[in-house]
Amino acid sequence: MGRTMILNASPRAPRSNSKQYAAIFSECYPFETEYFELLHKDPLALIESMGEFSDVLFVFPLYADGIPATLLQFLKVLEEHPPKRKPVASVLVNCGFIEPGQNDVAVEMMRLFCRRNGYRFGSVLRIGSGEAILTTPFRAFVARKIKKLAGSVATGKHQNLKVTMPIPKGMYIKASETYWANYGAKYGVTKEQMATMQIEDSKLGSDGKAGS
Amino acid sequence: MKLIISDRHLDIPEIKQASVECIDLSKLKIANCIGCFGCWVKTPGKCVIRDDATKVYPRIAESDTVLYVSKVKFGSYDLVMKTMLERSIPIQQAFIRLFNGETHHVQRNVAPKQAIVLGYGDISPEERDVFCQLIARNANNMNFAHYRVRFATEQGLEEAVREEVLKWGAQ
Repeated sequence: MGRTMILNASPRAPRSNSKQYAAIFSECYPFETEYFELLHKDPLALIESMGEFSDVLFVFPLYADGIPATLLQFLKVLEEHPPKRKPVASVLVNCGFIEPGQNDVAVEMMRLFCRRNGYRFGSVLRIGSGEAILTTPFRAFVARKIKKLAGSVATGKHQNLKVTMPIPKGMYIKASETYWANYGAKYGVTKEQMATMQIEDSKLGSDGKAGS
Repeated sequence: MKLIISDRHLDIPEIKQASVECIDLSKLKIANCIGCFGCWVKTPGKCVIRDDATKVYPRIAESDTVLYVSKVKFGSYDLVMKTMLERSIPIQQAFIRLFNGETHHVQRNVAPKQAIVLGYGDISPEERDVFCQLIARNANNMNFAHYRVRFATEQGLEEAVREEVLKWGAQ
């Protein structure tokens, strides 16, 4: 309940969705925030700064069903070199799947870290369809939930929140197909090329499976 | 193809005898995934970072029987294995499908796997629980047809691997 450190743990921090989520949090939060990116930063300097905040908000994407390696690396340093004062730790995690629940394991990893290392665990916001939601009319949905998250961190009345696009899964799959096809088109890559079954230079048989 | 992918050296003669390929990630140069999506939208199926990971993920994709050996940290694979798994996303497409009632990425040419995940270290019960939850999620995204999770201490690791390899030999 006070100054919050926002720690963007995305491996592509400067051009990440996490950065945009963090910016929305800053706009909504009634007290001071300071934004940091984990990427290429000295973890010990970040930890020293962390000791000056009452709260820390970890913002990151789901990577291979868990926390990104960049964050794991940082947590290992944090475990060895705790700050002089341990802030309350909250989490804002997003994944590209429509189900916010696919972020649950990453949240449990953060909870486990906090329990083991004596950090009070605060609020959580799990975002589904997080790769694209900010570019859709559903941006307002996520902004509203981030505002709720900011309120819960500010008051210390911690909450477990989630948000995603309110559309059927079939529609989501079709919409994501268009999203990614357009993404590839920016680089002159067709949808068919993106859908190749080939991995590196493996040879494919006529059935599309790897030749031996 | 049978594959052991390990985050540390394993001194187990039975591995060679059982015609199992063993990749020791600790000897390889593998950088962090930078989340550029290049392997989906620029050079589909190929990572834009041309380090040792590009030799490993095709082997993972081809294997139908895999033993993953990793230290466990905070309920996650520790850094070496985690970094490799993050670099393995070229074996998936950007496109999404419905699988087991959830949205997941379409796999490229990835063999369905009989997977054993051997987590080692000083692992608390709650950490085991989180790790098992992680592997259950991985099963959907890493094309595990069947999987089993096993834990070992660091001292007991090689014996545990040996037992699993001998089981493969008996199949």
